[in-house]
Amino acid sequence: MKITDSCVYPRPTGDSSVKRMALEAHELGFDSLVAVNTPPCEHFGVTVETGVVIGEVPAQEVSREVKHGRERGAVVSVLAGDNGRNRMVLGIRGVHVLCGIHSTDRHAFDHVTSKMAADNGVAIDISLAPVIHGRGVHRQKALDRYHDILLLHRRFEFPLVISSHARSVLDMRSVREFSGLASVIGLDIPDVEQALSTMGMIRSG
Amino acid sequence: MTPRPPTLREKRRYVLARIDPHGTAPDPKELYYAVHEAVTSLWGDAAGALIHGAVIAVEGEYAIVRCRRGTERELTIALSTVISCGGRRVALRTVAASGTIESLRERIAALQEPAPVPGVPAECTIDGMTYPVCWCAGQKIDVIEKGFKNTTRFFLTREDLED
Repeated sequence: MKITDSCVYPRPTGDSSVKRMALEAHELGFDSLVAVNTPPCEHFGVTVETGVVIGEVPAQEVSREVKHGRERGAVVSVLAGDNGRNRMVLGIRGVHVLCGIHSTDRHAFDHVTSKMAADNGVAIDISLAPVIHGRGVHRQKALDRYHDILLLHRRFEFPLVISSHARSVLDMRSVREFSGLASVIGLDIPDVEQALSTMGMIRSG
Repeated sequence: MTPRPPTLREKRRYVLARIDPHGTAPDPKELYYAVHEAVTSLWGDAAGALIHGAVIAVEGEYAIVRCRRGTERELTIALSTVISCGGRRVALRTVAASGTIESLRERIAALQEPAPVPGVPAECTIDGMTYPVCWCAGQKIDVIEKGFKNTTRFFLTREDLED
């Protein structure tokens, strides 16, 4: 079982090199990282996998970029949008993760999209960045969305992944801190262990 | 006023946290406010009062934070949401929890920093830009980019400089 931080942004997007992030991840208890736009490698015993995050682009381009990412052997994450976009994204073969759910509206991810995610094996990303960096209404909204996601996860059993979305080693958190922060959302320790190891299962499956 | 007998005092626990990045050395009062803000914003005033958190001491790279016994977990979760102190980016990494400050001080003494590695240049060149090295220990090297208005710290390894 590999413990994975499912999304980090090393240099040039962030301020830390991928090697430093791998070293930090090793000290924080992780076995692997998904680093956006970074070639796959292994540093300090931590496996670094390539990640691609597809932002708000038109539908045709999403399919093209997913195909391109899949050909590179990358972990393909697509930013969530409204309900229609999410249904479209979940139907595309090769999408591994739907991320950014916390910033969508309440109806963007419902029982239909949950079932689609479960059927197609697409993981839903729980980013801890809004819990760590957010304050006030921004964090409350993110926690509310995550509670809703968790309710649907327990009913439909789609995969979950947890990520720090760290742009710096200062944004990275240890496995224990992941567990603590996830408990604020309502995830208990077995749920967190499963979510941290989901990326390995998605990649092998 | 006679001091309260030990059996009637409230039980406290102390959490040792490392302050990253190296050399930040925040003002204890500013760190107190940063921790207080993190606890209150995450758990609210009522739970914050129960946690009763306070920064007791800042000793070099480490901070000792007090809480009521049984609330260590809530405090450590709140500590992981501290992202800045006095306008500078920091991260608090929980190292240990104990019932006495003395044992944490012993722990600080036991936590030896990696010995400085010889042969580290005073500055390095990355992508055609020259940066002064501000800290180096083991494999880790931090460099500073000096801009017009402020400075940015980059976190690298020795291998990055060799590439």
